[in-house]
Order: sequence, then C-alpha cells, then structure tokens
Amino acid sequence: MNEKNIFIKKTTYRILGFVFAMLILSIVVFYFARLAPGDPLQSFYGDSVESMTAKELQAARVRLGLNEPIFIQYIKWIENAFHGDFGLSLKYKIPAMSVVSPLIGNTLVLGGTAYILMFIMAVLLAVACAVNEDSVFDRLICKTGTVSYYVPPFWLGILLVLIFSINFKWFPSSGAYDVGKANDIINRIKHMVLPLVVMIMSHLWYYAYMIRNKLLDEVRKDYVLLAKAKGLKKSEIMWKHCLRNALPTIVNIMAISIPHVLSGTYIAEAVFNYPGLGSLSIESAKYHDYNLLMLLVLITGFLVIFSSIIAKTINEIIDPRMKETEVSAWQK
Amino acid sequence: MAEIDSSKFRVVGAEYKTIEPIINKLTLREKLKGKPIFSFIILLAIIICCIFSGKIGNHNPSGFYLENLNNAPNSEFYFGTDSLGRDIFSMIWYGGRVSILIGLLSMAIITVIGIVYGCISGVSSEKVDAFMMRTAELGNSIPTLLLILLIASITGKQNVFKISFVIGITGWFGLARIVRSEVRQIRNSEYLMSARTYGAGFGHIMIFHLIPNFVSPIMFVVVSSISSSMSMEATLSFLGLGLPVDVISWGSMLSLANKALLLNTWWVIVIPGFFLILTLNCITNLGSFFRKETNKIHSNL
Repeated sequence: MNEKNIFIKKTTYRILGFVFAMLILSIVVFYFARLAPGDPLQSFYGDSVESMTAKELQAARVRLGLNEPIFIQYIKWIENAFHGDFGLSLKYKIPAMSVVSPLIGNTLVLGGTAYILMFIMAVLLAVACAVNEDSVFDRLICKTGTVSYYVPPFWLGILLVLIFSINFKWFPSSGAYDVGKANDIINRIKHMVLPLVVMIMSHLWYYAYMIRNKLLDEVRKDYVLLAKAKGLKKSEIMWKHCLRNALPTIVNIMAISIPHVLSGTYIAEAVFNYPGLGSLSIESAKYHDYNLLMLLVLITGFLVIFSSIIAKTINEIIDPRMKETEVSAWQK
Repeated sequence: MAEIDSSKFRVVGAEYKTIEPIINKLTLREKLKGKPIFSFIILLAIIICCIFSGKIGNHNPSGFYLENLNNAPNSEFYFGTDSLGRDIFSMIWYGGRVSILIGLLSMAIITVIGIVYGCISGVSSEKVDAFMMRTAELGNSIPTLLLILLIASITGKQNVFKISFVIGITGWFGLARIVRSEVRQIRNSEYLMSARTYGAGFGHIMIFHLIPNFVSPIMFVVVSSISSSMSMEATLSFLGLGLPVDVISWGSMLSLANKALLLNTWWVIVIPGFFLILTLNCITNLGSFFRKETNKIHSNL
C-alpha cells in the first residue's frame, strides 16, 4: 500500500468520525433541550403564549411541528440548522445565530491568545525546571504549581479584580473596551490582561508539569550522554535535542488541552463580564434560553473537535515515528 | 562411613541465629517521613470542625445580624460578616458540611457510572466497545462547564442532591476510559474464563474479578474527583447556577463575591476561598500519596 492511499483513507476516517461526533452531539443537545421543563412554545413566542387561546396554541403547535414525534422534530431542526436557522433567542427576540456571530471573534481572540501564551510559558517553565532538576528553584516551583492548580479560576479572577482594579486601579474590571473606544487597541489589550492572567494561571502548571516530566524522561536517555560526551552545554542539549524529541508530546498535550482552555475562557469571560460565548452561554442558561444554549454548545463542540483533529494531523506531520507505527497498525 | 560427630564440625556461618539482629526501631519522626501528615491533620481538623459546626460557631449560621452588615473581622465576628449580615465564621464550618457532602456524593456517582460503563465497554465486542469509547471521548472533548450549564439549566432550581447529580453525570468520562483500558488487559485471562464457564454473571465478574484488579490505578482519579467536584460546585454557585444563597456552602458564600467587590470587603471573598483551596489541596495530597504507595506495591510484585 502506498502512502497516498493511506493518507486518503485516514482522512476519510477522520472526517467520518467528525461527522459522527457532531451528529451525536446534536442529538444529545436536542433531546436535552426538549427534556427541559416548560413548554417549547414558550421558547418560540416568549410571554405572548399566555395570552393565546387554545385554538391558537394548537395552530402554533402544528405550525412548529411540535405535535410530531420527536425524531421528526429533530430532523426538521437539523434541516433548518444547515440553513443557519437555529430558532429565535428567547431573551433577545432575534435569531440565535445573529446573537452569537458577533461574539465568536472575541472569544477566539481571547482563547487563542491565552492558549499560545500559556504554552510558550509552559515550555519555558518546564525547561527551566528540567535543567535545574531537584534544585531549590525546581522544588519551589513544583510546590507553588500544585497549590495553584487547585485555586478555582473564578476565585483567582475575583481576587485579581479586588487587588488590581479596585485597590490599585491598574486594570479595568469588566468589558472588552471602554465606551466609545472600540477601535483603541491599547484599551482592548488593557481589558484583556486580567482575563488572560486567570486563564493562563489556572492551567499553566498542569501542562508545564507534564512537559517537565517528559523532558526528564528524555534527559535519562543515551543520546544525551553522547551529547554530553561531545562537550555540548547543558542548556544546548535541552533546547536542541531533548525539546525536539519531546515536541510530539507537547503537541499531543496541546490537543488535549483545548477543551480545558475553552472552559477557562468561559469562566474568565463570566467573571470579567467580557462579551463572548462564555458569558453569553451562562446568561442563556440562567434565562433558560435553550435555542441559544443549544447553538452555543454545538459551536463549542465544533471548535473543540475540529481543532483536536487539526492537532492530530500536525502531530503526524512533525513526528514521522508516529506515522510509521500507525501505518503498521493499519496494515495488521 | 564414619559417624557424624557434631563436636568435630564447626558449623560456619550459623551464628546468625544466636546474634540478635539489630532491629531498626524507627522513631515516630522517621515513620511519618514522606507521608502527607500535614495534609491529613488539616483535613481531619476541617472535617471535625464541620461535623461539630454547631458547637464551634458562636452565631447562628443562617441568622441575619442586620445591625452588623459588612463588619471586618473583629472579636465578636471572627471572620467578619457578609453583605446580608451573616457571621462568616459560623458559616464556614456549616457550609463545609455541604461542600464536602457534594464532593463525596459526586464522587460516588462518578465512580459508579465510570466503573460500570468502563467494565461493559471493556468486556463487550470490538464494535460496541469502539462505539462506547467514541461516545465517552466525545463527552470528554466538550468543555465540562458547558454540559453542566445545559443540564443545570434544565433541572431548574438546585439543591444539594441535584447539583451532585449534575456534576457526577458529567464527570465520569475520564474514569470510564481508564477502567476500560484496565479491563481490556485482563479480559482474556484464565480466571475470568473459568468464572465465565462456571456461569458467573456480569455483575459477579465485575465485583469479584474486575474491580479488585483496577482499584489501585483508579484510586487517584477517584480521590481527585472529590476535589474537582467541590471546585465545580463553587464555580456553579458563583455563576448563579448552583446552590441558592440560603443553602450555605463555600460556593454559595462566594456567590456574594460580586457584591463584595463593590463594597471592597475582602474577607467575604478571601476566607471561603482559602478554606476551599486548603481542603482541595489536602485531598489531592492524600490522593497522590495513595497513588505512590500503590505504585510501590506493584513494582515489588
């Protein structure tokens, strides 16, 4: 079997897996939303339901297909969803899609920045710890890291607001920009600092520790001994040899971490009142705005699954070893 | 052959029986070395204080002392009062009960669902296994917070059992994967076959043959699920989707944090959070100690 065929086969499998995952997700979300207490009519017409007569209600039910079996309802819903129609948002009285679409960018910018910064810092921290293994520095970082991992992110957020925006007045405490300064980049960055700190701090150590352990595994290997015998410096070995060999693990960790980072983004957005998917989804959960919540869960699921597939593909490209093992597993 | 006369022989190296071996009597300090003794003591102290919360608290935890709103820590209210005029010192111990109870209940739900799901997936055929694991992976890949939001908004007003159920039902995916991979390793072993040929049912095999084999690998996950559930409860209560303010827990105490920010009353924010973090850290320390111990036993075998 040549390589091209394998590639095509694998890609098809991956796309099929993606479609399957989205399908299951949409079924689960739909059924959950229909399980909700209260009349689904309420979510389409809002409070005006109460003033309708019985006949009107019946007519509305037929029009919306609510008298049909639930799987037919589901198929109709999916059909509409492909046209971008996810129903009206109960709270905002406009289509759910148009509530969500302006906010996706905000969340992606915030989450993406945190994601990139977090991994740069995690790698730096891990290398610093691995080079000075078992020194006072390493132990101190390890201890503080484990403690910090159990600090709930929302609490850290409140604490930062208390210290830096209320008492020191260095950073603003909420929003994405001040009124009338939507195009001022510096103002926007100032608003992003505290949420970013929360998101990075809540997961940084967890990943740094994983990378540190992987690096320490690498340090024990024979090629490091050879490199030492050649007379390379310790830091040079770490950066040029060990880190390279640990790279696939790092990419793997990055793939796994996407849902965590997104979760963190949502909490940070809620604490700092940052207009994004997270604060919107918490709001819609509070107001029982199911059409909006369904859409938000689907979008999040899409983001996560899609990006983890990309991460897997990247991993194969940068690590030929993985391709070989997988190919041999394929042919078995 | 000459008779063996013991007087003619000198048994070499047999003196060891007569020599008293030097028993390394460990001092108490050496015995406790490497054990998370601090975490244990702190956790025990917190739990005991929570159990006897009625004796320790000097005020009614749900009483509103309206003339003492937002008092800073002082000699009457040791940890101050919140914006509703409640005594935080009494609430801490009383709320600890609820928080720890939620942690334990969620852990029980996570463990039961995770083990049963993982065992079924592990012993069933390839296709069923692949389907079940794909589903679990899917659940794992969606941010837990969002799933909880969805379910929490459906279940309506929360109480202790509802919120444990919501947290438990969204937290078992990782555990199920570990259990499944452990079961896969032992599913074809001889003793399982013999049990099956004797006519043992799935329940019997799971309880008497499968679970004893993977108790130690999943121990850490189970213990740390207590702390993650407690943390999740606090997050949900803070966001306004968890326990209402009148059900006292560390999380619902923190739900007043936004108000406290406006009033700049640090004790309302810092004190419940501090106790929460302390408890979570102690639990995790104990959990990782158990993991180290079980790993040691494994390597000796």
